[in-house]
Amino acid sequence: MSVQLVRERWNGSAQEMTLGRHPHAVKVGGESTLPFLHFEGSMPNRPVLALEVTDTSPQDWPGVLSEPYREVMGDPVHWAMACEKEGADLVALKLDSCHPEKENADPEQAARTAAAVAEAINVPLIVLGCGDESKDAEVLPIAAKALQGHNCLLGTVTADNYKPVVAACIEYHHNVVATSPLDINLAKQLNILISDMDLPLHRIAMDPSIGPLGYGIEYAYSIIERMRIGALTGDIMLSPPVICMVGEEAWKTKEAQSSDVPEWGDWKRRAVLWEAVTASVLLQAGGHIMVLRHPESLALVKAQIDDLMRK
Amino acid sequence: MAYSVTFLPDNKEYRINSDKETILDGAARTGIVLQGMCGGAGTCGRCRVILKGGSVRLDNGEIVFAGSTAAQNVLACSAYPIEDVVIEVPETSRLKEHQIKVSDDSSWADDTSLTLDSLAPLFHWIPLKVPEATLDDFEGDWERCRRQLVKERGRAVRIELEALRKLPVVLRQGDWQISCGVFGNENVPVVIDFAPGVNPPLSCGLAVDVGTTSIVAQLVDLKTGCVLGTAGTFNRQAAYGYDVISRIVYAAEVPGGTRRLHEAAVDTINNLITGLINRAGVAYEDIKVTVCAGNPAMTHLLAGVDPSHIRIEPYITAANSWPALDAKDLGLRMYPAGKVVLLPGVAGYVGGDIVAGAVVAGLNRSEQVKLLIDIGTNGEMIMGNNEWMVACACSAGPAFEGGGIGCGMRAMSGAIEKVEIHDGGEHVRYQTIDCKPPVGVCGSGLINGLAALHRAGLIDRSGRLVRHAAPSRMRRSTAGLEFVLAFAGETGHGKDIVISQSDIDNLIRAKAAIFAGIQTMLNLTGLNLEDIDRVMVAGGFGRYLGLEDAVAIGMLPPLPRERYEFIGNTALKGARHALLSRVIRKEMDTLARQVTYLDLSSGNEFMEAFTAGLFIPHTDLSLFSSIGK
Repeated sequence: MSVQLVRERWNGSAQEMTLGRHPHAVKVGGESTLPFLHFEGSMPNRPVLALEVTDTSPQDWPGVLSEPYREVMGDPVHWAMACEKEGADLVALKLDSCHPEKENADPEQAARTAAAVAEAINVPLIVLGCGDESKDAEVLPIAAKALQGHNCLLGTVTADNYKPVVAACIEYHHNVVATSPLDINLAKQLNILISDMDLPLHRIAMDPSIGPLGYGIEYAYSIIERMRIGALTGDIMLSPPVICMVGEEAWKTKEAQSSDVPEWGDWKRRAVLWEAVTASVLLQAGGHIMVLRHPESLALVKAQIDDLMRK
Repeated sequence: MAYSVTFLPDNKEYRINSDKETILDGAARTGIVLQGMCGGAGTCGRCRVILKGGSVRLDNGEIVFAGSTAAQNVLACSAYPIEDVVIEVPETSRLKEHQIKVSDDSSWADDTSLTLDSLAPLFHWIPLKVPEATLDDFEGDWERCRRQLVKERGRAVRIELEALRKLPVVLRQGDWQISCGVFGNENVPVVIDFAPGVNPPLSCGLAVDVGTTSIVAQLVDLKTGCVLGTAGTFNRQAAYGYDVISRIVYAAEVPGGTRRLHEAAVDTINNLITGLINRAGVAYEDIKVTVCAGNPAMTHLLAGVDPSHIRIEPYITAANSWPALDAKDLGLRMYPAGKVVLLPGVAGYVGGDIVAGAVVAGLNRSEQVKLLIDIGTNGEMIMGNNEWMVACACSAGPAFEGGGIGCGMRAMSGAIEKVEIHDGGEHVRYQTIDCKPPVGVCGSGLINGLAALHRAGLIDRSGRLVRHAAPSRMRRSTAGLEFVLAFAGETGHGKDIVISQSDIDNLIRAKAAIFAGIQTMLNLTGLNLEDIDRVMVAGGFGRYLGLEDAVAIGMLPPLPRERYEFIGNTALKGARHALLSRVIRKEMDTLARQVTYLDLSSGNEFMEAFTAGLFIPHTDLSLFSSIGK
């Protein structure tokens, strides 16, 4: 006896974003179904994984995380090349040096670093600011200019600093990461504000501010799921692809940070799994770009995506 | 210790008898009402006075002497006299008497829903011929009257002591022909007055809208239903706080606070009564019954009942349905045995004013779905028809009444009520109430101004002022960007009138709350915006509101213009209808009991709708697609 599968029919789809340049351009999004339900609709592009690189040696990375990058840390160009070699679909360069409470580096200097990294790798580049809203509003436009022609993804911007960054993305042809604090309405509002400046929706990636496994991942899951269902039901302002800063959040957890709790199992394995599981959960919710830190979690998640994309 | 406080330039004196009484209290007692947005918490700085003689102790223990620099800037709410003092009250610290615009449709006959046939006032005279007492018929005067009343009317009646005191004299004065004054609100009518002869004297009723900001009273001839006069003024409780919450806090936390607020409300009404009876040429004693429509907090305070539990979860009132009160217990200046009816409320934040409004708006008699919105601090709304009704209060905040807005003011003389912005913000044209030089912006001006700022591209959809737009008027202050509506040279007080970023944020929150309230009620009932057949906008504010602007900023739903109706002060109208018609009065009781109250603070549906509304016009642009991008 054959069973007739019940199929959900949607009338919308997610935006398809293109990052980088030919022949190494990467496409994300564009699906007309919930994640990996290939029988219900098309999922033309697989979710992609980025590895994170910082322009200074990070101080708060635990030993098991900095170990694989021991030889390249402090040298963002070689670090990025190492990430590409590990199989990252993209490299996410974080311009930490610009933070006013850290090195407060000159935006021009940071932009030069970003350009050098972009030249050294083939995969597309994501450039993330230092997280200080007003400094990022200064740094990112300068980086955008230096990266002209690379079709990068720049961010993150908030409702308070999006204007100069979006203007630069339009002028130098980049894409922008719009971040909002775990709130579907605020995410949507920021998309409207940005598209009011005439940056098309397929050049926006939404960062919903995720929580890692055990630290509020269910909120992130539900927001991402609502974003995706919004896109599929025709709410165009929720249709941009979703980027998740997985590594940054997962490596903050005490499970990833604690070296001295043997009853929790092997530290490195535990920490890597924490990052990988966080990413795989958010992929199920509908995330498109996962920014990771450890090469082994990259490999784990990549293998899982391979499985899930098999029709 | 008793000290005398002399207020200048009024030259009024008050003796303070307790070391807990502030200058503010003293001023209130002498009828000088100071501004007090914060409710005497010492934070808003609006009750500033100048110490001209003597010395005071401040809340923080500091002593201020006349002649010192600090004496120029004493907050009346936190200053306690420690000897006889002389205080100068500057004009800017006074709450100004403001004109309450009285609607023209106040005559009874204009009402299509009610005709003279249904006139059945709460108080009426019954002419009565009582069999004369003889040695053979020695029943008491009252039993004699009652027997006759029951015989003629077939109903049991009660009597009040005050009436009984009059009866023996009146009965003989009228030669056994009298008029019985009956208060007929309750199941058993009660005789509260007698007059000699079967041609009864004039009887009046008073309808009162007890608003948080203003109180409006209307004197009505109960026999004909004619309005004899209407008068309104600010609520003197304003000296103890600008909004409902700060008054409740004052009542709860200041010893004797409830009593003081009660007295302030009664004083306000008594003052209105004096003006009304003088103009109409009637006597205090002619007012036999008063009907008050107010929100729950105002109703509690008028009755002198502690309202503090309204503010605390689970937000419970002392009563929703109030017994008829005796005028002399409240201290109202009317016939002492007269009755005061407080219209019933639904719950902690939906009171008699809204119930009255709903009946006036005819929700309970309509087959169409009607939505009544009272755009004010509490943002009450009620939606439904003759089969069901839902009510909620979305606490929009005082922004539309000028509270929490730097340049905000109530709708009074010199308030900017309309704004036009030209040339990308370089030129501003405005219209003020009474065409006076501007001193601030009232609610309608704020709504109109917000829409104009957005149209001119000076704020983005999230309400953020745009930095480099309109260089001659957009400027940076210590608190962020601000936009100058009127420069010092044009204004009535010689200071710039500006809209700051935080003013805009407050306005957007207020408008979001109103729309979110509407959406939450629609969700609860499974209806869409289009299902609302009529939207009735009430409140003193509604009269001046620009509908297109209110829709453009996403405060009111984008429904066809003809579905909207501005119905002005429905609380007052409802109170008058209740005075004149026991049927209407009963409808209000029924309605208050039958309405489903929606507590917006429980669950997160309202909060979510609220966040979605913090945008111009709304995060869900499709809701407002009819008004373009």
